[in-house]
Amino acid sequence: MKRLLPLLLIIILGVLTALPWIAGPTLVQFAINALMLATLAQGWNIIGGFAGYASFGNSIFFGLGSYGVAIAMVQWNLPFGVGLVIGVVFSVLFALAMGVPVLRLRGHYFAIATLALSQVMSAIFSNLDIAGRNIGLVLPLLRSDTLFYELSLGLLVIATLTVFWLSRSRFGFGLIAIRENEDAAQSMGVNTTRYKVLAFTLAGIFSSLAGGIHAYWITFIDPNSAFDLSLNVKMIIMAVFGGPGSVLGPVIGAALLSAISELLSSTLSSVASLFFGVVIVIAVILMPKGLTDCWLRFPVTGWRYFIHNIRQHRL
Amino acid sequence: MDLLFQVIVNGLLLGGLYALMALGLALVWGVLNIVNLAHGALIMLGGYAAYYLFTLLGIDPFLALPLVMMMLFVLGYILQRYVLSLIARSPMFNTLLITFGLDVIFMVLAQLLFTADFRTINPSYAGTHVTWFNLTFPTVQLFSFAVAMCLTVGLWLMMLHTRIGRAIRATAQNLSAARLYGVNPKQIYALTFGIGAALAGAAGDLYGVVSQITPYIGATLTAKCFAIAIIGGLENPLGVIVGGVLLALIESLTALYVGPTFVDVASFGVLVLVLIIRPQGLLGKTA
Amino acid sequence: MKKTLIALASLLVMGQAIAQDVVTLGASVQETGALANTGRYYRDGYNFAVAKINAKGGVKVAGKSYQLALKILDNQSDSNLSVRQYVQLLNQDKVNFLLGPFASNFALADSSVAEKFQVPMIQGGGASDQIFNRGYKYIFGTLPVASRYFESTVAMMKTLNPQPKTVAILYADDAFDVSVAEGTRQWVKQAGMKVIQDERYSTNASDFSTLISKLRSTNPDAVLVAGHETEVLNFIRQAKSLNFNPKMYSFTVGVPTEDFRHALGKDANYAFGMTSWVPSPQNKDEYFGDAKVFASAYKAKFGYDPDYHAASAVADVEAFAKAIELANSIDPKKVRDAITQLNFKSLYGNVAFNKEGQISLPQTVIQVQHDAVVDIYGQSLINKPIYPMPSWDKR
Repeated sequence: MKRLLPLLLIIILGVLTALPWIAGPTLVQFAINALMLATLAQGWNIIGGFAGYASFGNSIFFGLGSYGVAIAMVQWNLPFGVGLVIGVVFSVLFALAMGVPVLRLRGHYFAIATLALSQVMSAIFSNLDIAGRNIGLVLPLLRSDTLFYELSLGLLVIATLTVFWLSRSRFGFGLIAIRENEDAAQSMGVNTTRYKVLAFTLAGIFSSLAGGIHAYWITFIDPNSAFDLSLNVKMIIMAVFGGPGSVLGPVIGAALLSAISELLSSTLSSVASLFFGVVIVIAVILMPKGLTDCWLRFPVTGWRYFIHNIRQHRL
Repeated sequence: MDLLFQVIVNGLLLGGLYALMALGLALVWGVLNIVNLAHGALIMLGGYAAYYLFTLLGIDPFLALPLVMMMLFVLGYILQRYVLSLIARSPMFNTLLITFGLDVIFMVLAQLLFTADFRTINPSYAGTHVTWFNLTFPTVQLFSFAVAMCLTVGLWLMMLHTRIGRAIRATAQNLSAARLYGVNPKQIYALTFGIGAALAGAAGDLYGVVSQITPYIGATLTAKCFAIAIIGGLENPLGVIVGGVLLALIESLTALYVGPTFVDVASFGVLVLVLIIRPQGLLGKTA
Repeated sequence: MKKTLIALASLLVMGQAIAQDVVTLGASVQETGALANTGRYYRDGYNFAVAKINAKGGVKVAGKSYQLALKILDNQSDSNLSVRQYVQLLNQDKVNFLLGPFASNFALADSSVAEKFQVPMIQGGGASDQIFNRGYKYIFGTLPVASRYFESTVAMMKTLNPQPKTVAILYADDAFDVSVAEGTRQWVKQAGMKVIQDERYSTNASDFSTLISKLRSTNPDAVLVAGHETEVLNFIRQAKSLNFNPKMYSFTVGVPTEDFRHALGKDANYAFGMTSWVPSPQNKDEYFGDAKVFASAYKAKFGYDPDYHAASAVADVEAFAKAIELANSIDPKKVRDAITQLNFKSLYGNVAFNKEGQISLPQTVIQVQHDAVVDIYGQSLINKPIYPMPSWDKR
């Protein structure tokens, strides 16, 4: 099984690469969206899953990436690629500047500080002339979903490979040490500030690239959609549902949840979001360690897995 | 000059309501260590309860306060006792996620049950005002300011001087020690969450009188409550009053001097600054 | 048993027969979420119009009768989701033509799908100038041009006695309202009045106390507000509680709706507003008879009064029906060209699109008087406005 896994992944990847030539446009655009969410969940996994910092600020990077592309293309007539670079540069600068003070905060305080920062960024951009204020910017239209699809797929693969590398590198172990016990990690000689800021930056780069691609694809951004808080909540849910701190968990979580919500929203409409809420509540209660943990343990323990989880975590 | 004073009056009065909104959030956060993302949704439900009591039964929104608080107390008690307590020892993300899930559920249910129409509670005296020193004081805002103060001070006194209050504080400080003193934490947690929800209900009731209720107001209100609770600190209900009033003043003065579109930059900017400089809140003890 | 089987079989055959002669219109509309309150006008308007046109025999193409079908998805007030749903409508649900969502920012994003796949979209929910000045060829709109929303109001103000001299403009910072404000400045200036306050506020603001206090200190004769319904309600309630008494105020949205009068009660009185549609019997319609008949039928069917959003939605569907018959084809490019040639009378008014794809409709000024909406000013004075409005403590 262990040996078969890489082979299986390569086959899946091959099929995914060929998808635009096999599937219809609806599936392709669903896939672009799912790939973007998976990349975001994977990015969140680095800071949230590995380092244990519940960031609500990843949507800031998504927004900076979106605006990088939009401003470059609309206001400065620069090519798409340059816009992506501009977005990444701004995201890195932001992560370095805000990461140091904000990452000193722990637990809920960090979560709320990042949440507030994303509100501040949204409010600042809705006052910036160059960003089209709250009216937003309309990007040129490119009729090639295949390109957007392959770009998104490539980005997700790179993000996942990065996380794979992380899971077996010294850097990654340092982050896990911070998650388990930050004070102990520090006393063991881990430069916690540097590790955390690096993780934040890395997460930021991926979110920013995803944002840039998304902006060009959807052709319209405004502060509300660029710094969308519910997008940040979505990436957390997908990462946590799949299994935070694992390599493939966030990708699987994103794929499953996007499929469920897409199916529901095209058939059930208003009940869809109700169902989404119920799924979150039940998943958190029954599988607090995510899908990957359930996948590994359920065959061994059976239904007792869920009962065990409740016993272990209830008051 | 009159304009500045009037804007300060507006800010002060709004600040009272802000404080009441955040009071329950701060209590639950401080005692149970749950950041309740569904707090705004509870405020929204309180607003609907008051709206229907007023339109269907003709009960004045201020007289309805105890009723609304009772309803929300029961809801909060059940939520904590039978849902949230199941994940009490789970990682922090999970409490955020589960309360987010509840927020979504409340919002969708409200939309299905109450429709997306805007609801306002409009008693005959709504919109009246009194004039003192050439300044206008809206009656309803004055009332709600007074109610907010009474409830905040009442909570403060309760925490200091009653058996339940002491038990809640003991549980907040040290769960296992509290157990030794014969406190049943399940009971206390559920009670605390119930009280938090009841306060949210009271805030929703008043919010419906000064503004309007829709199923979607929850998220914005929750974000606002964070800012107030953080600025005021979690340890003392009186701090929340300071947080509420400060936030409202910052918002009003920003709107006056910088421009109405900069209100969110200022209020959330201050929140970030306070967190970075004094995470224990402006009034909290230095760690 | 046998009978039911036969019945079933015949149903199947009929179903297939119908399936062949159907033209499907697709739309992604705000059925839930923050904009559901207005989104419902589009959902119900589209449905009603499609049902009515079908009852009158559908549309005729090359001597064959087609029934209209409608596929509506709920975008949950999320503009990214709505873009994806339009792609789904075209590719998976194979709809023939597109109807629009509510609100300018949605129409702005969604129209790019129409342009991308070169399928015409007629939308009655977005009026912002940006939608139409990108040179897109497949987007058409049936709301009046945003910058002209206050044109008739300012014209009416010139007839008032004493004529208002000072004006305050308040507007939300979204695409549509910024366009409205830009136009309004010009109309006010041309009328020889003075804008003494010009304030942009955040969309979804709920606290207007500072703005109102500021207005009170400059004391303009007229206050013109371009915003959203929830902001308008907050503004009026807070104006009352802060005892702000301009001689008149007018709002781009809210005033014509039933919801507005419900929420405000007596305080709704004297507010000016505007509507691009008046349910009067003079607006003749091929399918519904006239606008008045439509309004009462709509109320009976859906339980609430239609406003211009609903009428605009009906006009969108009718425009497709007419364009398809004119093109004598359901080919999207031919129908697109036919849409540009349209010129017909509907319950909504005269529908004829200009080069940018918008129609020109005058706004009728309305005012709430004695708890009812009264038409005040169209091309000329219709009814007498109550001006100046009585101060709050004299009501």
